[in-house]
Amino acid sequence: MLALTSLLIFVTLRVIPGNPVITRYGATRGVDPKALEELMRQLGLDKPIPIQYLDWIGGVIKGDFGVSYFSQFSVTTLIGQRLGPTVELAAIALALALLISIPAGIIAGVRPNSLIDRALSAFATVGLAIPPFVLAIILVVIFAVGLKLLPAQGYVDFSENPGKNLTLVLLPSVTLAIVAAAPIVRFLRASILETIQSPYIRTAEGKGLLWRQVVLRHALPNALVPTVTVVGLIVGYMLGGVVVIEYVFGWQGLGALAVDAVLKRDYAVLQSVVLLVAAAFILVNLLVDLLYGVIDPRLRVGGQGT
Amino acid sequence: MAGTRDLEVAGPGAVALPGVMRRLLRRRAAAIVLVLLGLLILSAIAAPLLTSYSPTALAPRDRFLPPSPAHPFGTDELGRDLLTRVLFGGRIALGIGAASTVIAMLVGTAWGFIAAMRQGWTDEILMRLADATMAIPTILFALVLVAAFGASTVNLAIIIGLLLAPVTARLARSAALDELKSEYVLAAVASGATRTRILLSEVLPNTLPSLLVLATLNAASAILTEASLSFVGLGVQPPEASWGTLLFQGYQKLYQTIWYAIFPGVVIFMTIWLLNLLADQLQSVLDPRERESSRA
Repeated sequence: MLALTSLLIFVTLRVIPGNPVITRYGATRGVDPKALEELMRQLGLDKPIPIQYLDWIGGVIKGDFGVSYFSQFSVTTLIGQRLGPTVELAAIALALALLISIPAGIIAGVRPNSLIDRALSAFATVGLAIPPFVLAIILVVIFAVGLKLLPAQGYVDFSENPGKNLTLVLLPSVTLAIVAAAPIVRFLRASILETIQSPYIRTAEGKGLLWRQVVLRHALPNALVPTVTVVGLIVGYMLGGVVVIEYVFGWQGLGALAVDAVLKRDYAVLQSVVLLVAAAFILVNLLVDLLYGVIDPRLRVGGQGT
Repeated sequence: MAGTRDLEVAGPGAVALPGVMRRLLRRRAAAIVLVLLGLLILSAIAAPLLTSYSPTALAPRDRFLPPSPAHPFGTDELGRDLLTRVLFGGRIALGIGAASTVIAMLVGTAWGFIAAMRQGWTDEILMRLADATMAIPTILFALVLVAAFGASTVNLAIIIGLLLAPVTARLARSAALDELKSEYVLAAVASGATRTRILLSEVLPNTLPSLLVLATLNAASAILTEASLSFVGLGVQPPEASWGTLLFQGYQKLYQTIWYAIFPGVVIFMTIWLLNLLADQLQSVLDPRERESSRA
């Protein structure tokens, strides 16, 4: 699966007569042909394309992503610098999203058509339609331009200045969290609504359990099963959303690196960043599949179901 | 596997297309959504008639004007009328959206139908290819393709269309497989129809309604993707400007005027929202279960 994905990325970037020399010197003309040949040889671009692919993949497996066409740094160094900020942003955003969406989904699902359900569902509908960068601009207008409470842009490493780092991560992570929470709320609400109508819930109620207990201990675990898949997909969506959000807020992560790489035609960096993100997405969905077994004992027996 | 999306397929015996439209128009919410979308599209088509300004005429003395009767959306850093720029931006944004939706539907449906018809190895290869594509977040893959092929308006439409094709292929395949099991297909086989003929004249008309729902969602994603790419400067290239381009330019001038960013942002949001609402309405018209419950 990942092999096929990597091949897809590689082939796409190789069909073009892209020449890294242009990125290094700005033009092909007027450059000493010997220097050009030397550079091609250094970057391994004189070899046949299938060998180039195997070189790249062979390196990736060993944790070596090759050399950037543009800067002298290795791609591994560049990615290493940018991975932390992206993981920080995505993790905070996901945590916030779950913190908002799980209680909201439960409350809306337990009291369908109540005022609070209508409000939450309206929020979800808007959240589903609003592009992350539009939401980002609204938040910047309110909190940075209007109230002047938070900085609009920038990145400071956590180890340098934890306080500054956290104030800077606030707006981008809230943006991503709201966008990610909307589909989870919608899905969990429907799931809860369906679960509480099943006979076993009536049994639990009939036993005289508190309604809170019925919802949290009996209905929630079953309602969460399908929701977990949605969360897996949301993570993938967030990995994409991160690209634009990092760009908006000047957050120095992988997404900003990818946009930069396209602008500089640094395909060595671009292909590795995209591969890494795809790998992360596949891994998350694999984890979701495994998680199924944990939360739903019926699926623990191999080979059946789903 | 990775990237599966839950989209309900209207089962065998799904309603035919003209009936769907009629039933849709009978719902007030759906009718309002359709009218608003129609107005949006019309305003883009009729852009030159709706405004007396040119989208490129400079008026340096009128920089960053707030909204006023003369300039309902205000003006930008070069004194251009923003309403005019948004109207003309809509031509590009909606144009790319429409073109890529058509490409996604054509390529995706053919992709899914071939997989469903051939089965075996062809099916396996086609669907694994769809999985591999869907494992890469759309915006990132779009970046790779823009890097490879350049960002002309035509390229953008093709790139976004092709990126939406795998999702379409999945739905088309499962819808076709459902239909192929039904008895009227068996009857067609018995009467000697070829497989291509069955797909085109029996299966396609019956899967059309659920493909229509997907087309609406695809249009929303296409417009979102184009806006995202243009926003990071890798989509529509100056001097042309789509809504995404305008939004980014407005974002950079946020401390001078907030109107510049607000209007393009609102228009993008409204368009995607209306398309999502339309998809919801279509879905509930098509789902027999919900039709019953809304009647009761």
